[in-house]
Amino acid sequence: MAPRLPARWAASLSSAASASTSTSTSVLTTRVLLTERHALLPRTAKRGVKYGWSTLPSRSRPARFNQVSAGLPAPTAGPAAALKRKEATTPLRTGVLAVKTGVSAMFIDGMRMPCTILQMEQVEVVAAKTRAKNGYWAVQLGLGHKNAGNVTAPLLGYYEAKGVAPKRHLAEFKVRTEAGLLPVGVQLQPDWLKLGQWVDARSNSRGMGFAGGMKRHGFGGQGASHGNSKNHRTIGTTGPSQGGGSRVHPGKKMPGRMGNERVTVQNLRVLKVDNEMGIVVISGHVAGPKGCVVKISDAIKKEPPAQTFIDKARRILLERNPDHEAKLEQARLRHLELKDARKEGTIGEAMAATTALATAAATETATV
Amino acid sequence: MATETTPSATETAAAASSIPPPISTLAARKPTKFHVIPSRNPVKPIRTAFAVYAPPPSARAVHPEPLVSYHAQQIRRLDRSGARTNLFSKKNPDAAKPGDVLQVTTNRGEPFAGVCLSIKRAGVDTAILLRNHLTKVGVEMWYKIYSPSVLGIEIIWRRPKRARRARLYYMRKPRHDMGNVEHLVEAWRRSRNVFSSNKGRGAQGKGKGGKGGKGSK
Repeated sequence: MAPRLPARWAASLSSAASASTSTSTSVLTTRVLLTERHALLPRTAKRGVKYGWSTLPSRSRPARFNQVSAGLPAPTAGPAAALKRKEATTPLRTGVLAVKTGVSAMFIDGMRMPCTILQMEQVEVVAAKTRAKNGYWAVQLGLGHKNAGNVTAPLLGYYEAKGVAPKRHLAEFKVRTEAGLLPVGVQLQPDWLKLGQWVDARSNSRGMGFAGGMKRHGFGGQGASHGNSKNHRTIGTTGPSQGGGSRVHPGKKMPGRMGNERVTVQNLRVLKVDNEMGIVVISGHVAGPKGCVVKISDAIKKEPPAQTFIDKARRILLERNPDHEAKLEQARLRHLELKDARKEGTIGEAMAATTALATAAATETATV
Repeated sequence: MATETTPSATETAAAASSIPPPISTLAARKPTKFHVIPSRNPVKPIRTAFAVYAPPPSARAVHPEPLVSYHAQQIRRLDRSGARTNLFSKKNPDAAKPGDVLQVTTNRGEPFAGVCLSIKRAGVDTAILLRNHLTKVGVEMWYKIYSPSVLGIEIIWRRPKRARRARLYYMRKPRHDMGNVEHLVEAWRRSRNVFSSNKGRGAQGKGKGGKGGKGSK
């Protein structure tokens, strides 16, 4: 690289300096340019390319091409961009899990409204997924109860650490920010949903088994006569001939397994919530047979319930579960103790000690 | 598999010496059950064990059939006197049955009378199907019996013999079609007028229909 020409102002300085004293220009230039502040620039408007000022980055320190400091535009792909992109369609707060128990109708202001009755059975918060650890914000909910004998050992340890009884079903509800998360171990009740609010209901549809093209995709079938032979419900041709490549295009609709896939029914109204019976009644119908698990969440295409209601529901939830923090902490500590005992093979003794102490405490209280 | 532990005295004694100190702090806590996974080794019968916490109270245990509760609740709301329920109750011997001619009065238009072809029993969504001929055209109407727009249901004419089917769809066939029931409605109206007057001389065979009609309100 050719030595950079001194700027005009520097040249004038150096020439003046050389005229007065007999020191070299380089020293003088250094004295002017490199001070302890290091950011010293002359108070002059004569800066720029045409005055000999290079705007190129110095070659000794190439720009870091993929760093935060590189001045690149924010990436449009990747985890952060994905979260940002989905922000508008992610609910502010968690939804609830419920079991479909049947369909009926409700008369509202003289009008009949078909409705689905769902029951929330022992719905508890099992875990919180965080941006730092999991890459997204979500609340993991559990529904129902499962006999411990039907739960695998790893999952038993999972529930032990949470202080939660084994659940029949687990599901996650993504939330927009950290503010949507809930503490582990609190139980959700139907009044988490606001009467009259809009919700989306997600569930697995009824499985139809192996179905033909007419039933599965609504194909027209073929003629009953005009020489048709034993092909009345078959799908017919599956693709073009030689001109079209003589192949079947990927994704061609064909006979196969129908149903038992996740179906979302959007924009249903909450018609009734009843904590005592544990039921949520929502307008319209939800996919799946009776007994299927339905995820009910705030509708993504409608306004969520008012922030005052969200705050109120959260406050009521925490009031109903006042000691959730202590419970969780105890469960964690105990899980660590029992985990160590399991590793050392002394779980039998630990268990016996716990039970003995518990029975002792029970008898003590009984005598008192 | 799922065995709740009840430790024997020897186990407890053996454990007492080797309790790690933190476990003694468990004394104050609520006793939780353990799920023991046994092993086949007779020397060491317990392979591992996990604490299992008690589940929260179950709504399903208290209300195993929420749909039934929902129906009862809604019917209480819509039919406070219980008259409509009684009119179609299977326990009521005087209830309306398929084959009877019923008249439904709604909050708009004229009352519709017709022979009841079927009663679809579905709690608060229970409905009746009535068939009549209007201007010589067969007309069928479904009515939700608990609908607020249904003001009254009256029994116009009782089928002399109980129908042996629950769904009388065969009455749509020309051979079995009752045709227009206007003459039955007229007769019922006349008999009702007789009853409402003070003369009291109309105690003929049509008293039953009038009685049922009153009862339905």
